[in-house]
Amino acid sequence: MAAVVSLQNVVKSYTRGRQRVEVLHSLNLEVQSGEFLGLMGPSGSGKTTLLNLIGGLDKPDEGQITVAGERLDRLSGSQMAAWRARHVGFVFQFYNLLPVLSAERNVEVPLLLTKLSRAQRRTNVAAALALVGLSDRASHKPTELSGGQQQRVAIARALIADPTLLVCDEPTGDLDRESAEEILQLLTILNQKQGKTIIMVTHDPRAAAYATRLLHMDKGTLARDESRTTA
Amino acid sequence: MKYLPLIWAALRRKPARSLLTCFSIATAFFLFGTLQGINVGIEKITKLTSVSHLIVMSRVSPGLTPMPLAHESQIRSVPGVTAVAPFDVLVGTYQRPNNPMIVIGTDLDAMIRISADMMVSPQDAAAMRRTRNGVIVGVTTLRQYGWKVGDQIPLHALNTVRTDGTSDWHFTIVGSYTLQQPDWATRIFANYDFINEAVTTGKNQAIDFYVGISDPARSSAIAQAIDDRFANSPDQTATANEKDYLESTLAQIGNISFLVNGVVAAVMFTLLFLTSNTIAQSVRERTSELAVLKTLGFTDSGVQWLVLTEALVLGLLSAAIGVALASRVLPWMTSGPALSSQGIGAMHVPGLVYAAGAGVATLLALVSGVPPALRARRLNIVAALSGR
Repeated sequence: MAAVVSLQNVVKSYTRGRQRVEVLHSLNLEVQSGEFLGLMGPSGSGKTTLLNLIGGLDKPDEGQITVAGERLDRLSGSQMAAWRARHVGFVFQFYNLLPVLSAERNVEVPLLLTKLSRAQRRTNVAAALALVGLSDRASHKPTELSGGQQQRVAIARALIADPTLLVCDEPTGDLDRESAEEILQLLTILNQKQGKTIIMVTHDPRAAAYATRLLHMDKGTLARDESRTTA
Repeated sequence: MKYLPLIWAALRRKPARSLLTCFSIATAFFLFGTLQGINVGIEKITKLTSVSHLIVMSRVSPGLTPMPLAHESQIRSVPGVTAVAPFDVLVGTYQRPNNPMIVIGTDLDAMIRISADMMVSPQDAAAMRRTRNGVIVGVTTLRQYGWKVGDQIPLHALNTVRTDGTSDWHFTIVGSYTLQQPDWATRIFANYDFINEAVTTGKNQAIDFYVGISDPARSSAIAQAIDDRFANSPDQTATANEKDYLESTLAQIGNISFLVNGVVAAVMFTLLFLTSNTIAQSVRERTSELAVLKTLGFTDSGVQWLVLTEALVLGLLSAAIGVALASRVLPWMTSGPALSSQGIGAMHVPGLVYAAGAGVATLLALVSGVPPALRARRLNIVAALSGR
C-alpha cells in the first residue's frame, strides 16, 4: 500500500501570550491508503493539532507534510483551500452544519466549489444522503434532526466531493452510545467498502476499537503505534 | 448565482434583524428618492418657466391680497404690454368635503395670447366664449377625474358666497387645453365675468394679472414700468416674470438643493453605521460557520466576497424597495390642488435618481461591508473552530 499521508520531522508551536509552546516535536508518521487510523491521547497531547496539519487547516513550523501526493507545507493559502476541497472530508465533534440550511443544502456546500450543474449536484447530494440513510430527512434543518442524524449529514457533506481522506475530530464525542455506534459503523463501512482512508481523533476506547491502527500521542510525540483488528 | 442560497441563508439567519435593517435602508432611500425627485422637479419647473410673460401681484401680500380689476386697463396701457388676463380664484370642494378643487376665473382669449405654450383648439375657445359657465380643463385633470366635454362640475365654494345666497357653482366642461409638458396641464379655467358677476365679496378684483409682453428681453424694464404706474396707488403691485417670481419664492424657502442634499447626506451617513454594524454583528455571530466554509475549501477571498455580496444584496434590495415606494408616493404627494392650480403637474422620480440611488446603495454597501468582509477574510480556521 502507498502512503497517503507522510510527515517528516514536523514541528508545530503556538504562541500563548508571550510564551511559545511547542505542541508537536519533530514528529514522523506515515498513513497508508485505506487505513482507519485512531489517534488517542490525553488533552493537550497534540492530537487535534496533528489532525489540523494533515487536513491542511494549519501549516507546520518545520518539517514536511505530504498528503495525497501534495507537499502541504509549500502551498499558499488559496492553493491549500483548493486542495482541501478536492482531497479532504472533515467531520467535527459538534457537526458544524450551517443552521439555516436544510440537510441537502448543507451537503451541497462543497459541490458549490465545483463546476457541476445544479442537477448533477442534486443527484450527488441525494446519493450521499441515501448512503448515510437520511434520504427522508433531506429537507430538514439541523435543529430538526437528532445529534446522530446531524453527524450523518456532516459525514455525507464530508463524502460528497469524494475525498482521498476523511478527517474526523471526536466524531462521537457529542453523541449517545447508540448514535455513536451507528456513526462508527458508518465510518467502518466507508473504510472497508469504499476504501476511504480515515483518521479519527477520539478519547473513547470504544470508538478507538473500530480503528485498524491506533496511535497514542503524549506531549507532542507518538508514544505508541499499534495495528489491530477492528471491533 | 449558485452561491445565492448561502447569501440568502445568511440574511435569513436573524430574520427580524435583517427585516429591520431592510426597513431602515428602504426608509432612507424612500427619503432619498422623494427629496431628490422634488429637487429635480423644482429644477425642471424653474427651467420650464417662462420670461415671456409677467405676473402682477399685490405688493402687500403677493398671491393673497386682491387688486382692483381697474388695474387691468392701466397695465394694458404700459408700453410693451400686449395682453392682460385677470386671475380670480374660486376655492372649493368637489363631490366630497375632503376633495379640494380650485377654479380660476380669467379671460381665456387673453391667456391664449399671453401663453404661447398653451394649446386650445379654436372650437373649444369659441365654445368658451359662447358658454358663460363653461370651463376649459387641463388634459391631466380631465384624465384624472375621467371627465369629458359636456360634463357638469359642481363646486362647493369655500371662499365666497353667490348673490343667490348659496355657495354652489355649476360649471360645464366645454373643452380642454394642453401644454408642451402635458403633465402640467392641470388647471381649470372659467370665464372671469361669470364668476365676478355672481360673487358677493371680492367683486371686480383679481388676485394676479398675467401680462403678455412684446419683448422678453425687456421683461424687467416692463415689470418696473408697471410697478411705477401703481407706485402712488393704495394697491401697489409687485411684478416679475414667471421665472424670477418662482426663483424668488424658492429663495424665501432657502437653498432647497442644499437642504435636500444635506438631509440625504445626514441620513446616509447614519445609515452607514447602522448597516456596517448589522453586517459586522452578523459576521461575528457566524465566525464558526465562516471557518467551516473555509475548511470545506472556500478561499479567503471567496469568503470575503460572500460577506460583501451579502451587504450588497441587503443594501441594493432595500434601496430598490425605498426608491420604488418613492416613485409611487411622490406623484401622489404632489398632485394636490395647491400645485395643480399653479399649473405645476405631479412630480416624478426621474431615471437619474434611480441610477444615483443604485450608485449610493452600492457605495454604502461596499463601505459598510468591507470591514466585516476583511475580518472574514483574515479569519483563522483553527482559532475560529476552537472558539479562540
